[in-house]
Amino acid sequence: MADEAKSIARGLQRRDPDLLDRLIEQYQYRLFRYLVYVTGNKERAEDFFQETWIRVLERGHQYDGRSKFEAWLFAIARHLVIDWQRSKKPQSLDTLTDPEQEHPLQLANESEPSPLHQVLSQETEENVQASLQKIPAIYREVLVLRFQEELQIDEMAGVLSVPLSTVKSRLYRGLEALRGALQGGAAS
Amino acid sequence: MSENNHNRALQLIAQARVEGIPEADSSWLRAHLEECEFCTERAHHTDRALRMMRTATIPLPAGLASRTQFRVRLRAQELREREPKRRALWLACAVSWAFGIASALYVWRLFQWFGERTGVPKLVWELGFGLWWTVPALFLLVVVLMEKVRHGSESDWMRQSR
Repeated sequence: MADEAKSIARGLQRRDPDLLDRLIEQYQYRLFRYLVYVTGNKERAEDFFQETWIRVLERGHQYDGRSKFEAWLFAIARHLVIDWQRSKKPQSLDTLTDPEQEHPLQLANESEPSPLHQVLSQETEENVQASLQKIPAIYREVLVLRFQEELQIDEMAGVLSVPLSTVKSRLYRGLEALRGALQGGAAS
Repeated sequence: MSENNHNRALQLIAQARVEGIPEADSSWLRAHLEECEFCTERAHHTDRALRMMRTATIPLPAGLASRTQFRVRLRAQELREREPKRRALWLACAVSWAFGIASALYVWRLFQWFGERTGVPKLVWELGFGLWWTVPALFLLVVVLMEKVRHGSESDWMRQSR
């Protein structure tokens, strides 16, 4: 794993086009899925997907191979989303990333069924589908990083640029939100 | 069964999935779940939702990878074309500095001689010399600052995220 990360770092230093092609192929699904969960919008996720890889090309020399490549990749993608949202609404980064705020990182168009809903509506357990949609993106994001991408908590702290304690607290709140949403769904 | 036991069980259910729990807590939780239907159902709900998140598939847009690869290659080409210009700029500045250092004494005398010939106050020709000497540095500083402004904020978080 460490060797592979080092090899990626060396390739990115050289801006090796073949390596970038391979990485795009290899991580396309995971990156796109993450962006869909974070943005809640498939078209926007597609734009961010392309922009993320452009940044990987431009800033590849900053990746030193000491951490997992995907953690670095998700961090780039995440910050692009936050930068975009910040330029859209003149708010501070803290406000956008503060889980106590009313709608942190909620970019989905509320008037349309979200891609998350479209995806999950194929499932039979409607109660759980509805519950996942009710969770704020900031919590959904940590659930995705932990339980889909299977990142370690310290790796997540790197991606989110927050302390370990914050990651844990978001994870607990995310699970709590999930549980709360499930209860709400069951009640309705 | 007390409310405290339920709260502890719910906390442990979450903790077990987030960061793991010690064996003693795990045994306690197992024993509690065997007796408590309410908490068992909560645990099942949580697991089911997490399982769905893990297994949910999101269809990839057609040609997303190839379109991205194309854009990335175009950008790489742009960067490669820009590289010699940047190298030439650094080289020019380096040569200019080296020449400036080597000729500083002679230029100082030239400024001094010119100052004496024209009657310009000493401070003025000294400032003139200082300006002449710092122009390449200032030029380079402006170029570097412009680059920094363009990429500065993102570089910070990219380094932090490592």
